[in-house]
Parts: sequence; structure tokens; C-alpha cells
Amino acid sequence: MTHETKRKIEGFVALFLSTLAAFIGLFWLIFILGDVLINGIGALHLNFFLNDPTPAGVAGGGLRNAFVGQLMITAFATLIGVPIGVLGGTFLAEYARGKKLSQIISILSDIMVSVPSIIVGTFIYALMIKPFGHFSGWAGATALAIIMIPVVLRTTEDMLSLVPWTLREAAFALGAPYYKVIIQVVYRGAATGIFTGILLSIARVAGETAPLLFTSFNNNFFSMNMNGPMPSLTVSIFQYAMGPYDDWHAQAWAASLVITLFILLITIGGRLILKWRYKL
Amino acid sequence: MTPSTKKNPIDLLFAVLTAVSSLSIILLIAGILVVLVFESSLAIHKFGVFKFIFTIDWDPVRKIFGAASTLYGTMVTTVLSMLIAIPVAVGIAVFITEIAPDFLKGPIGVTIELLAAIPSIIYGMWGLFTLAPIMANYIEPALQATLGKLPLFSILFKGTPMGIDLLTASVILSIMIIPFTASISRDAFNLTPEVVKESAYALGATKWEVVKNVVIPYSKLGVFGGCVLSMGRAIGETMAVAFVLGNNHQITSSLLNAAATITVSLANEFTEADSDIYLSSLFYLALVLFVLSFITLFIAKLFLIRAERKYSR
Amino acid sequence: MTDNIALEIKGLNFYYSGDSLALKNINLTIYEKSVTALIGPSGCGKTTLLRCFNRMHDLYPKHRYEGEILLKGHDLLANGMDLIGLRSRIGMVFQKPTPFPMSIFDNIAYGLKLKGIRKKSELEQRVESALKHAALWDEVKDKLAHSAYDLSGGQQQRLVIARALAVEPEILLFDEPTSALDPISTTKIEELVTLLKNDITIIIVTHNMQQAARISDWTGFLMLGELIEFDATEKIFTSPSKKLTEDYVTGRFG
Repeated sequence: MTHETKRKIEGFVALFLSTLAAFIGLFWLIFILGDVLINGIGALHLNFFLNDPTPAGVAGGGLRNAFVGQLMITAFATLIGVPIGVLGGTFLAEYARGKKLSQIISILSDIMVSVPSIIVGTFIYALMIKPFGHFSGWAGATALAIIMIPVVLRTTEDMLSLVPWTLREAAFALGAPYYKVIIQVVYRGAATGIFTGILLSIARVAGETAPLLFTSFNNNFFSMNMNGPMPSLTVSIFQYAMGPYDDWHAQAWAASLVITLFILLITIGGRLILKWRYKL
Repeated sequence: MTPSTKKNPIDLLFAVLTAVSSLSIILLIAGILVVLVFESSLAIHKFGVFKFIFTIDWDPVRKIFGAASTLYGTMVTTVLSMLIAIPVAVGIAVFITEIAPDFLKGPIGVTIELLAAIPSIIYGMWGLFTLAPIMANYIEPALQATLGKLPLFSILFKGTPMGIDLLTASVILSIMIIPFTASISRDAFNLTPEVVKESAYALGATKWEVVKNVVIPYSKLGVFGGCVLSMGRAIGETMAVAFVLGNNHQITSSLLNAAATITVSLANEFTEADSDIYLSSLFYLALVLFVLSFITLFIAKLFLIRAERKYSR
Repeated sequence: MTDNIALEIKGLNFYYSGDSLALKNINLTIYEKSVTALIGPSGCGKTTLLRCFNRMHDLYPKHRYEGEILLKGHDLLANGMDLIGLRSRIGMVFQKPTPFPMSIFDNIAYGLKLKGIRKKSELEQRVESALKHAALWDEVKDKLAHSAYDLSGGQQQRLVIARALAVEPEILLFDEPTSALDPISTTKIEELVTLLKNDITIIIVTHNMQQAARISDWTGFLMLGELIEFDATEKIFTSPSKKLTEDYVTGRFG
């Protein structure tokens, strides 16, 4: 066998293995999503959305309270986390641009994005649950907000930095103060990017369970009182899946299907928007 | 470059507002550290530092707690999942950047990103209901019958295959980190300038030789940083493993036994802790995890920054 | 200048992406151990033509060749042509210096290792020979283990030339090799090319007409994918046959 033939065979084998790896990756996606779809669709009926949970072992329960609870917690988390994230990113990209402080906060932010979310849960537990003796939806929302802040901050910083400096100079030349330049010109230029960053951060926290486990905890009844334990889809999935009843398992699958679809839709939507706007 | 904000009071207000918002990051990190240390002070006082890390016992009744068993579980699942995930992820990245025809690059890339967006609880659910039975009924017995018969490997595969064990948890974890690692590796590979690759082809290199000798060395900092980043995420993963690990505080040599990681223990026991020392020990675990993951993520970030700087001349 | 022929291009058409015609009916003779320059305005197809010679286009989808390019009698456009072997007989130097992320020694040795040469003494001897051939040996002989990125731009380009020379090609293709370099480095490269032609056939694409006039023996002028005129350099620049050529070399357009 010539050296050249040996090289060609080695190359073929290596590239074949890579292709195999790619198809393994694809395989898992189809397998997992397929499973969620098949198992979840069976339990998806109108009652699932309209009814609250029934006592253990009794059939016909739904997760209406969990849907509403999840929505409320996520909504408040967004209201708390997004403004802080956007403003923080604005500082790094505008007032502190190029300065050492900006770099440090940026790096710390990137680290915070990947910090275990259960740690955030313990943090909020110590601050907002332990002193008061009861679980609360506010604590859950705050925990999720803390997870959102670094994500929104970094995407805002990146998107604002993409806006060319000359655009700002043109606004200054017309006599606008800096804050107006930012709000009226720069934000407008980066709006799509920032919006997508917000969407993706929502997708991220919509599926979080760990930070809610001991903050908003869970509630088997319908509740809109953020001062007490709030029902959430993710924690319900955890409890139902680990429980003994088949009916509970079915509902856990159904809830998983809904969450997965929601997150996939937002993620795909977000990327499509970015692609259209920035022609990536 | 930044104009003075002294003249306009609203400008100053806005600047301060944004500054405070950005400082929230520093406040959060410091706050978490302070709070965790404060809450674990009871346990730190009772168990010290080294003793806690090396004590295997986790006994809520006798009120003796140690981190060794959960650290063991965290380490085994992380290392094992990385061993499975990294080759697959790098293989995927090579496929996307070098092998796939142009019309496939986009869709497969999107598929990988979608996989990365699926929340961990879905992986956990699927692991419990679908993977664990498969592991228990087919894969684990098969491993016992083959690798398990070899002298060095037999201790790894002892015990009754139930599916709720270190092996299953590691497999789920690896599936979770593959998309993320593949994505970062792909981005690192794409930084290699087209001209440098063409130079290698012009010398008569095959496609694989270009990948092996040029692309991978060129991007090794970025790929390595991505792997360390994935490791940081694996350490802190809760829901994917909580369903299939069992939360059994023990150090066991067999991969077919249940075990515990810090995250799983926190998830299962936080609301059950019935004594102050119990709760404080849980906070202590959280502190250990926080420090561990922070350091790992910091190292990863250093590699990624150097990767960006080194070859952009 | 000898009359031995290195490459014979007959009726070459080249299509990008299926139907976009980039080269039209090129007929050209490249003579051995000479320097042939390809000149013409931006987009005229000179780089496209150059990249046909070592079949660089094959790396990208949807290209199509028509016609023949004969290398010592064999058509290198033929379907079964061994591209790896071809590219060690016809080397290429690109516009931007492209050192690999390795030491200086490993860069030069790369092509040799690809061919299976493993013996340390042989590698060392051929690396030294290539570096001397590229007029870089004296500057780097003490730092062969250093990263190639430590060198200046001009030195990196000579490194890349040495790397291409190490596999002892018959033909060396240069794609605007000095456009990214300062005047002093440019002069050094031009001197090097003039030296190299004693051993190797050189084809150089350049948008710098004065450079073509300085260092080449033969010049081909292309425009819009067609070879307008090909002749001895002196003739092209002093008394070209076609009006279009005359307009270009006197700077009336371009």
C-alpha cells in the first residue's frame, strides 16, 4: 500500500466517523422530540388546560393553575430582569465602552450565564423565603429574573456595539444630548437584536425548574397570589413524573410537550428575526 | 470618545441608572458568595473545610454531614459525560464545517441549536421514562456481559441493572452537553481563514489532513475553552440527572449503582431539611458547588478570550 | 529561455456555479523555467485562470471545466486526475501570507511529511535547502522552533514560498504575492522570483503592471475572461499587437 493510499483511507475513515457523529446528534433530537410528541399528545385534551389538579389518584385533573402560575412568574421575572439587563448592557456599550470596568463586568456576566441555576434558588431562598417562613411567587420571579439579567445584558451589549459610531456622531452633530442619542437613535438601530435577545432569555427561563423548587415551590390549587407558593408547569412536571400515578405521568408528558413547543417556537422565531434583520 | 455628561441632569441620571444596572452583576456574584457563606457558617464551624470535603457520611439522623459522596457523584457524572460528549461534539463540528454540502450546513446547525435550547427537565423526563428502561433491560446487561467480564472493567459494572444509576445519568448529561459543545467548536473552526486552508490543499493535503493539521490546531484554544465551558455547565446540571440518579449518598465503584450529585441532593433535600445543621450543610454544599463552577467557568472564559485574540492579527 | 513547454492550455472554458462563464476559449503556452505574468483589470479572470492550473476550483461546488490543460502531455483536467499528486507538482503562493499555526521548521516540513518523509536528517536537510532557496535561511536558522507568527509579513511570505518549494514542484503559481507587502519586502520577493526561474516554471498574477514588466519573460493580458494577447513581455509593453492591450498598458483604463 502506498503512502498516498494510506492517507486516503485514513481520511475516509475519519470523515466517515464525523458524519456518523452528526447523524448520532440528529438521531437523539428526533428520538427525544418524537417521544415527547407521542407521549404528550395522548394526554392533551381540553380538560388539561381548563381543569385544576384533582386529589391524588382521582382522574380528570388538569394543570390550568400551573399554566397561569408559570405565565405570571415568567411575566414578572421578565418585568424585573429585562430592564436591568438592557440598561446594564447599555452602560457597557455606551458610557463605559472600552474601559476596563466594562470588560470585567462583561466577563463576569458571561460566567453568570452558565452558573448553576439551583444556586440562584438557594440564594433567593436565604434572602426571601427563610426570613419570612413561606414560599412565594415573588421569590420565584426574582430567581428567574437573576438568571435573565446576564443573558439580556450581554446580548444588549453586543447588539448596541454593532451600531456604527458614525450614527451617534450624526445625532450629536444635530445637538442631541447623549441619553437622547441612545434612546432615540441607538436603541432604534439595535431594536431587533435587543428584542431577540429578550425573546431568547424568556425561552431560557421558561423551562427552568431548579430555581423554582424552593422559592415559588408549587401549589396544587389555582392561585394568583404571588405572596404564597405559586403553581408552575416545570415543578409540576417534576412532581408528577416522580409520582406513582400513570395519570400524573401522562400529564407530565403533556406539560413537557407544551413547554417544548413554546420554547422551540420562540427560539426558531428569534433566529428567523435575526436572520432577516441582519441577513446572517 | 464618550462625551461629557456633566451639563445635562437627565443625562447624568440615565448614566447613573445604567451604571447601577450593570453593577448588579458584581453585586449578585458577591451577594451569592456572602449569603452562601453566611448560611453555611453553622456547618463550616462544625465540620471545618477539609473534613467536610472528605467526609463520606451524610446522616441527617446523627447530624453528621460530608460532601465527599456528592462530590464524587458530581465528578463521575461530569467526567463520564464529557468522555462521551466531546468526541461526538467535535465530530459534529467537523461535519458541519468541512464535510456537509452547503445546503445541509444551515439545517443541521439549526438542529444543534434547537437541541441546545431544550430545557433540562425534558431530558430528565425522557431519561426516566424512555432511556432508563432501555439501559436497564438492554444496554447495561450487555455491558455487564461484555466489558464487565474483563478484569479491569468488572468493578465498573457490578450490581443489578436498574437503570437509575451513574451510567444512565452520565449518558443523559452527555446528550445534553453535545449540542452546546458542538456549537462552540463549530464557531471556533469557522475562525480559520479560508486562505490558510487553501494553502494546505495547495500542498496536496487531503480534506482530513487539512482538518487535522490546520483547522484543529488553529482553533484548539477555542475548542478547549468550549469543552471547559461545557464541563462547567455539566457540574451544575440538576434536572437532567435528578430523575435518574437516585440521590443515594454513597461512593460506589460500580457505574450501575445509584449515587448523588450536589445538585441532585439540593433539589431533593432542601425542602426536607428538618434541622438547622442539616440546612446549613446543604448551603455548604451549594457554596462548594458555586466556587467549583465559578472557577471552572472563569478558566473557560480565559481560554476563549485568548482564542479570540491570538489569531486575529 | 528555453523552448520546452511546461503547460499547454487548449480551448479552456471555465464556468462558476453551473452556467456563469468566467473564462472563454483560453489558448496559451507556458514555457519551462520562465516567468509568465498574467495581467488585466479587476475581475478579468486572471486569478480564475491561475486556480485552474492546480484545480483549486475543485474545492468549491458547481464548477465546470471545458477544454484541456496539458502538463507534460497529460490533461490535468481529466476526470481521474490525482489531485493530491498534481498539487505537489504545481504549488501555489497566495495574496496574504498564510503560515500554519506551527513552528517555522514544521511549516516547511509540512508538505514533506504529507508525502511520507519521516527521517529527521532528510527533513532537516530539505528544510534548510528550501529556506536557502527562498533566501530566508540566514534570518531564521537560529529560530526554527519559533512560531511562524513571530516573523514579519515579508518574512512570512518568503516562509510560505519556502514551504511550497520544499516539495520540489515543477511549476509555482503566485497569486498577487506582494500586494499585501511593503516596498522593501516586495523587492525581495521580486528578486527571489527572478532567481527561482532558473529551476522552476513560474506563473504570476499581478495587478501591478510595472512588476510584470520588471520580472516576467512572457505576459498574458486578459479582459472579461478572454485572453486578449500573449507574447514576450518586452513586446507587450513596447509594441503590443492589439489596441486593447496598448490602452491597458499605457494606463488609459484599468
